[in-house]
Amino acid sequence: MTLDALTQLGPEFMLLIGACIVLIVGATAASQRVQWASPVALVVVLLAILATWRLGVPEGDTSIPGLWLTPLTYYVRWITLGIGALVILANWHQPSESERGEYMAMILFSLLGVLLTASANDLVVLFFTIELVSIPTYVLIALSRQDARAAESSVKYFFLGAMSAAILAYGLSFLYGAAGTTTIQTVGSGLSVAGHVTGAPVSSTALVGWLLIFAGLAFKVAAVPLHVYVADVYEGAASPITGMLGFVPKLAGFIALIKIFAAFDWTLPQSVFWLVWIVAAVTMTVGNTLALIQRNVKRMLAYSSVAHTGYMLVALLVGPVAGEGPMRDGVAALLFYVAIYGTMNLGAFAALTAFKTGQRAVETLDDIAGLAARAPIAALGLAVCAFSLMGFPPTAGFLGKLYVFGSAFSLGESHPFHQAVIALAIIGVINSAIGAAYYLRIVSTIYVRAEDAPAAPASGRPVRWCLAVCSIAMLILFAWPSQLASQARSATVALHATPTRYHAVSEDPDAANDTSPDDFDPGH
Amino acid sequence: MNILTLIVFLPALGALLCLVVPRPHVRTVAVLFATLTFLVSLSLFGSFFGGAENAAGSFFGSSYGTLHNVERADWITGQRFAIEYFLGVDGLSLPLLILTTLVGLLACLASWNFDQWKINKGIRAYFILFLLLETGMLGVFVSLDFFLFYIFWEVMLLPMYFLIGVWGGPRREYAAIKFFLFTLAGSVLMLVALVAMYFYSDSAINSAMIAQGTPGGIESGYRDGAMLTHGTFDLIELAVNPAIQNHFNAASTVFLGIRFAPLMFMFLFIGFAIKLPCVPFHTWLPDAHVEAPTPISMILAGVLLKMGGYGFLRLCYPIFPAGALDWAFVLAVIGVVSILYGALCAMAQTDFKKLVAYSSVSHMGYVLLGIAVMTEAGFQGAMFQMIAHGISSPMCFFLVGVIYDRAHHREINRFGGLWLTMPRYGTMATIGFFASLGLPGLCGFIGEVWVLLGTFAAGSKFTWAYPMAILAASGVILTAGYILWLIRRVYLGREKEEYAGYSDASARETFILVPMAVLCIALGVLPMQTVFNYTNGTLDLMLQHIVGVIGMVS
Repeated sequence: MTLDALTQLGPEFMLLIGACIVLIVGATAASQRVQWASPVALVVVLLAILATWRLGVPEGDTSIPGLWLTPLTYYVRWITLGIGALVILANWHQPSESERGEYMAMILFSLLGVLLTASANDLVVLFFTIELVSIPTYVLIALSRQDARAAESSVKYFFLGAMSAAILAYGLSFLYGAAGTTTIQTVGSGLSVAGHVTGAPVSSTALVGWLLIFAGLAFKVAAVPLHVYVADVYEGAASPITGMLGFVPKLAGFIALIKIFAAFDWTLPQSVFWLVWIVAAVTMTVGNTLALIQRNVKRMLAYSSVAHTGYMLVALLVGPVAGEGPMRDGVAALLFYVAIYGTMNLGAFAALTAFKTGQRAVETLDDIAGLAARAPIAALGLAVCAFSLMGFPPTAGFLGKLYVFGSAFSLGESHPFHQAVIALAIIGVINSAIGAAYYLRIVSTIYVRAEDAPAAPASGRPVRWCLAVCSIAMLILFAWPSQLASQARSATVALHATPTRYHAVSEDPDAANDTSPDDFDPGH
Repeated sequence: MNILTLIVFLPALGALLCLVVPRPHVRTVAVLFATLTFLVSLSLFGSFFGGAENAAGSFFGSSYGTLHNVERADWITGQRFAIEYFLGVDGLSLPLLILTTLVGLLACLASWNFDQWKINKGIRAYFILFLLLETGMLGVFVSLDFFLFYIFWEVMLLPMYFLIGVWGGPRREYAAIKFFLFTLAGSVLMLVALVAMYFYSDSAINSAMIAQGTPGGIESGYRDGAMLTHGTFDLIELAVNPAIQNHFNAASTVFLGIRFAPLMFMFLFIGFAIKLPCVPFHTWLPDAHVEAPTPISMILAGVLLKMGGYGFLRLCYPIFPAGALDWAFVLAVIGVVSILYGALCAMAQTDFKKLVAYSSVSHMGYVLLGIAVMTEAGFQGAMFQMIAHGISSPMCFFLVGVIYDRAHHREINRFGGLWLTMPRYGTMATIGFFASLGLPGLCGFIGEVWVLLGTFAAGSKFTWAYPMAILAASGVILTAGYILWLIRRVYLGREKEEYAGYSDASARETFILVPMAVLCIALGVLPMQTVFNYTNGTLDLMLQHIVGVIGMVS
């Protein structure tokens, strides 16, 4: 491992060093008038973005043991750091001054965990990075506000999180037992989990490992039946950090799931397929149904987060099998969707952060009744995010849903489960219509209802900037999605060291046509 | 810039301008842009008049898919995937486009007294949303890429939702949410169809490429020299390309184990039927109409309902003729039930606006029946009925609005003798309601008669056509019943003291009513010159195409 190899991890090192600096700044600056922790944290993230841009797309670099830097790393760096900067804006004024240093440092550590998860090519490293994402979030929830509920939800999240980590670790150890190595993908030569699993019927040891990993990660991504904590934790934590909770653990969890599924080459036994199918269907339906009966906006968005996990699971189940294009590749659709979801969800929570009723942060629908009359611009931002969550054009949320469900439809008849997947997509489409009802209730409350308990503006400008960027991004990404979608697509191309079944991943559409007529459509 | 792009986005430009001009001038800007849009849209007639002598021959081409003022550009592209910005007009969309700009202008004028409304806050937002709504509606009628169509279809919902929800009556929240969710439920099914149609057309084209041994793609069904290499959202291509049509309508093509064409037809049909609306999807309409402010009711009745009928004719029928054949009986039954049930409901109403709303359900039943029987007269009559209703029903809603502005209630039984109190208004009201009734010589008559003729003509194809025609004809009596009863209760009789001091229709109100009254008469007297000459060519060619495909698959 040379210094040159380490520079490839520039953004990660910047976050690490930056987090330490923020800790020091936070500790010394408690007495000063200007609070430096938040600006420094933002600068760190922006520098990391700059480093990502300068480094460009890594081409499968494995010179650092345990890591494999691929276009997936590049894509995840962009979306994590981009949304991370927005998270810092949303949390700008969040905890009391004396704790802000630790708070911002924890956010940076958590983001660092996500970046490393995207590069991990070793079961142990994967476990560590997932925990690096999770552990700071326990602290963040407790620090986020001076409230017994925050402490309660932090403890609740911690115990359940610790249990899921144990299940995850247990599952990873089974995979190690089956494969005899902790390397996930073989790059070059050597043993790997993928090498062990591919080609042969999946051994029962590996299958048990897969099931336990899925259970452990289902907690991180908040899939039913491991979703029970979501509403309480979201309600207990302060709004801006809740916006982060909806994105960061979900992204890390899905990246890990993608890596495990890729190791199994997306060829799972029938029983496993149906397990994921049922989990996806139940997750969407339960999430939407429970959200429908909530009066508390944070709880509503918590269950909506569960529902969105269900949509993402559809794309995960499809996998990259159908290949090519944004509407065909399930993993590309998933990566696209998770970025969109992170932004619009954060925007909605930023809007809640921007207001208070009395001394209390706004939480319920009654708190935001008639908001549009008081704060037309913030209300418009919240409405855009709500419509995006609903999956309604002209917002990027619509394209996200279109890509996810489109990928399910694109499975050709040669795929053994194509009917089941299409049925799942139809369940998803129906669910998004159910979901529209409660998102619309938010919009309806702020625009149509009379003002009973007018919310007053709370935090300062940064959270408004966050809301503005989130909502404008939703509109812009609707009109020009191609760049993000094609990056998501190239990220999935590199999921396999030796693409076995994905010979059709050619970037050039003409190349496919030059071959014999039988190769026209790889998906069918 | 293409003239269609200009027409579609002129109102949006006006909306941008409304954002910056001083508050008192907002409505002026809105009216100015609505007028401009109307005038520019009229210029589309130019190409018709140019070839007037051989209109049927050259203008509509020799097969379905001859378009004018076409504009195409790639919008969202990916590997083997392209969504186009594709606009164009033909005989199906042109009259509806003109209708939209006209009703848009009149409804904009009807909003002129915004300051006197009960909820008169946010004039800027109101006119911005109004103009955006117009852009959305125009976009629906001219987009020929399914994806673009779907976007405009959905986007149009948002301004409508806010216009009802913020400036509506007492139960506006309920009405707006109901309107939104009903339409959304329909568009969800449409989205499934959209995605499925894309991938099925993709596999159709792939198989055709393999079968023909042409790796460079297969020829487009209507564009010379264009090649298709992957699936398409092009609504005309989906309808006329033989490879796609054979695959879509073949009995062996299945979706989730169900035959493709009838299933997709039904998905699309439900989406459009909610908008039309026909029984049993109509329940949002009375609520939305009663709560919406007058100009929004005019738009809702005049234009939005037409999108359902337009959707049938643009998507369901030409793309899935096999589905059309399978469902013909069910659709005709729904149409006849809508006619009769709508009329009976209208008869039972005591709320003026609700009565007009239910009469819309009844009138739209004729549209569905005329389309369902798949005869030339049926298609033509359905199209004419849409245009005629697009003029008479906004007029009726405006007439209700005029009296509501003065009396602040809509109880039919409390009115009486208004013709004596307000002679000019009474005269206009009589023209409007008689047009809605279908009095010979006025616009409502032609559409209904053509639909009935078309239904009888279908007797050779469908055994059920005669009974349907007879039932539908009996609907005419019910319509006459509730309209005449309405006129008697509201406009005739002795003058009531309560309303004695009411001023007659103002200059602005008369200015809005007169064009509609003139059109009611003109369409009734000169149906060929006003509508049929522009629509029949496309409709007949479309029908030929549909019949041809049905003949091939059955």
